[in-house]
Amino acid sequence: MIAPHADQLIDGYLARLNAAAGDLPKAARQELVDDVRAHITEARARESEETDAAILNILDRLGEPAAVVADARERLGIRAVQPYRPGLLEVFAVILVPFLWPIGVILLWMSPAWHWRDKLIGTLVPPGGYFGLSVILLTAASGVRSCGTVVDQAGRVIQDGCSGPAGLPQPFGLLLAILIFGSPLITAGYLAIRLRWGRQPQGSAVAAV
Amino acid sequence: MPVPADGLVSQMRRGALEYCVMALIQQTPRYAFEMIEGLGETGMLTTEGTLYPLLSRLRRDGLVKTEWRESVDGPPRRYYELTAEGRRALAGFRSEWTSFRAAVDGILQEGKKS
Repeated sequence: MIAPHADQLIDGYLARLNAAAGDLPKAARQELVDDVRAHITEARARESEETDAAILNILDRLGEPAAVVADARERLGIRAVQPYRPGLLEVFAVILVPFLWPIGVILLWMSPAWHWRDKLIGTLVPPGGYFGLSVILLTAASGVRSCGTVVDQAGRVIQDGCSGPAGLPQPFGLLLAILIFGSPLITAGYLAIRLRWGRQPQGSAVAAV
Repeated sequence: MPVPADGLVSQMRRGALEYCVMALIQQTPRYAFEMIEGLGETGMLTTEGTLYPLLSRLRRDGLVKTEWRESVDGPPRRYYELTAEGRRALAGFRSEWTSFRAAVDGILQEGKKS
């Protein structure tokens, strides 16, 4: 009899071991996975008849990946990283990034709950939050196209037309306005979604005891 | 309240395991799977995967050294061998363990009689 799912079972086990050992130093993790892979090869060679059940027994005897890694942490004197739980800092950061940009951005960068890419997006989209947007729009407004009719005292039209740069067609202009005014809120929503609930904090490191 | 016996035994077994592993390679270098087979029926190693972090620790502490050797029936194997420091540590444990075991046995026997 053969073991049709042998590779699948073994790869799955090694992947779970690798994931469980995510907070071990890279060299220690690699060594553990390599040792366990070699162990499985040895154990398979000793099986007179390789079946899926035999493979499962080999993996059972090895133990649950989480238990093996927990033992490795203890033996190698590595403290497990506590999952970071976002709190008020993150709530204020999400609220203040659009409305009080400088403080919101400081809180955003202080928190370990976001990946640095998310922090960059939160800082730059849009730059300055609503305040930054107002400055940008006021600057742009100085060059906005204006239209009108000028008449003299007798009511005769002496000037009729538009001055300044040409604007965008109506639907595109509306869409752009929605995008521009919505972007701080969209970014805040994005940051809320990207909170790393229960995941390893950004920039943290395992510590030898 | 005393520590529950099963928890205590489990901790003792865990602590003693590294010296048992060192004792297994005292005479001749062995590879990990051989050690697992050696520990097999003793009940000292309930989760085989935990042997590997233990071996890494022993190596990191300079108590064992390793060497890759070709195998006739598969990929190369990493053999573990006791270092001089490992031998000293094992001798120290053996002496401590013998007197500890004698003391505990004596007290437990005494308790039975009274």
